[in-house]
Amino acid sequence: MSTIAIISSFADETQCVQAVEELRAAQVGDFNTFSPIPSHKIEHAIGRSKSPVRWLVLAGGISGVLTGLAITIGTTYEWRLNAGGRPLLSWPPFIVICFELMVLLGGIFGFFGVLMLSGVPTTTMAPGYDGRFGEDRFGIVVRCDEAEAARVESMLKESGAEEVVREDEAQPR
Amino acid sequence: MAAAPKIPVEPSYRDIDRSVLRVMEPAGLAYWAWIGFCFTLVAIAAGFWLRQIYSGLGVTGLRQPVMWAIYITNFVFWVGIAHSGTLISAILFLFRTKWRTAVYRAAETMTIFAVATAGLFPLIHLGRVWFFYWLLPYPNQRYLQPDFRSPLVWDAFAVSTYLTISALFWTMGLIPDVANAREAATGWRKKFYTALAMGWQGTDRQWRHYSMAYLLMAGLATPLVLSVHSVVSWDFAMAINPGWHSTIFAPYFVAGAIFSGVAMVITLLIPMRKLLGIEDLLTEWHFDNLAKVVLLTSLVVSYAYITEAFMTWYTGDPIEQMTFHMRYFGPWGWMYWVMVLCNCVIPLLLFSPRIRVNMRALWIITIFVNIGMWFERFVIIAGSLTANIEPSQWAGYRPSITEIMITVGSFAWFVGLFSLFAKFLPIISMTELKEGIVWLRKALKMDRVKAA
Repeated sequence: MSTIAIISSFADETQCVQAVEELRAAQVGDFNTFSPIPSHKIEHAIGRSKSPVRWLVLAGGISGVLTGLAITIGTTYEWRLNAGGRPLLSWPPFIVICFELMVLLGGIFGFFGVLMLSGVPTTTMAPGYDGRFGEDRFGIVVRCDEAEAARVESMLKESGAEEVVREDEAQPR
Repeated sequence: MAAAPKIPVEPSYRDIDRSVLRVMEPAGLAYWAWIGFCFTLVAIAAGFWLRQIYSGLGVTGLRQPVMWAIYITNFVFWVGIAHSGTLISAILFLFRTKWRTAVYRAAETMTIFAVATAGLFPLIHLGRVWFFYWLLPYPNQRYLQPDFRSPLVWDAFAVSTYLTISALFWTMGLIPDVANAREAATGWRKKFYTALAMGWQGTDRQWRHYSMAYLLMAGLATPLVLSVHSVVSWDFAMAINPGWHSTIFAPYFVAGAIFSGVAMVITLLIPMRKLLGIEDLLTEWHFDNLAKVVLLTSLVVSYAYITEAFMTWYTGDPIEQMTFHMRYFGPWGWMYWVMVLCNCVIPLLLFSPRIRVNMRALWIITIFVNIGMWFERFVIIAGSLTANIEPSQWAGYRPSITEIMITVGSFAWFVGLFSLFAKFLPIISMTELKEGIVWLRKALKMDRVKAA
């Protein structure tokens, strides 16, 4: 049995959410959505865990603090500047450097983490992508067995899809 | 440009896209003439800089003891201008402020270009600019390293971190919008936007990571923005120079930065919304709220001026008191009172709700604020150096043509870069405006009811 892709578009976020919920309940195939805005409702309906990018930001932040400590302590020991016999390491100013590097590396890890996890840069578009999905339409692409296609199509239509097409029928726009 | 068609009072996502993308259509001759004018000024300033590099800092008016003057004033001024962008894009994002969506992209863009302008001034101020990298720690055979106890080294870290993080945060917000522009564009523009969008498609997987990272980056940028101007203020406060050595400097400078930055956002947005025909997206409601931020920070800054005077009197330090006496009533006293007029008195007009939405009045008030805040930095930096601890060292300062032309060039550089951006990339975030469409609709309804 071959797998096919069914592409549907919705004018309304709520209808898209409803379709996602029904697809999840019916457990047919796997699917992904396209939306013009970061929709928390869709994210909630799909029910994936929180993005792991937060761990990357944390790792970046920690490595920033460690880098800050390494360069401040390291360079102080390399160039021992005796300021009136006071302790060699001046912790309060080091905090400033550690803080700045924490933010710097945390941000850089976060930015490149998003790119890596979301698969950009890329030159290939996901099957079913349509320019309208960036403008004002919400899309769901379901990949399922051919035998289940009719059921999926009727589910999408019942949820209020404006258009439901199979991948082989979809015309490039 | 032809008059913009009004968008319906209940705009759809498509109406928002069309209004924003229309701005990015090819520009006319007037636009290119303006860009040419700005960059000609930049070229003239660059010529003066080259002359200064060739012949040394003697071509400036900098003489002992006034070794920090207009260049450092410009540095602090532009870093200050940069602050409103991150305030609006990160801090107000965390507070879920509704009016920020339409103005945040412009404010953030202003931040990037203001930091890029500010970053030039410490370099311009260097006598031997080719040794700028001495500020950074790097391995060398003499084991010579920067002293991390110096606030100037903190500043190098803070400002470069600020520029990097603001640029990443801004780029991240731009990606979905540029992907939208990619769909609508043709010709070389399509290739340009396709490359910038990096293949963004708005799948649930992409949005999931995007939303989380955006939130975390806003969380990181919030303490960063407060730290950057604090660090800038410590360049002064850590020195034992009278007029500089004060514990209130960090909050005082941060409030001043937000004050001048938001004023600059208004100064840029009012002509921009008219010239680019986006009056429907930047409504009176947005300006009313921006004006309230200006008013609030004006009051904070006024309070800081009073506290500063009180502390000087209360400490009983005669040297500090003499410096402040000279600041208020010395030969440069007029600058102090111009600053008080522009920063403390004129913004009080914004208590009137009518003035807050009167674009002409608001524009003029914010220009006064910009002038006042430039003078504030000059009075603090150069003014305090003219009347130092030893009266025998007291000296005046007169800016040279090199310093004046480089200052003019910095304004042209900033405005030129901003104008280029406004025409080639989405100056209003379509994604965020769509997310908060309910509030845009409300604002439009208010505007239309008023107009009727």
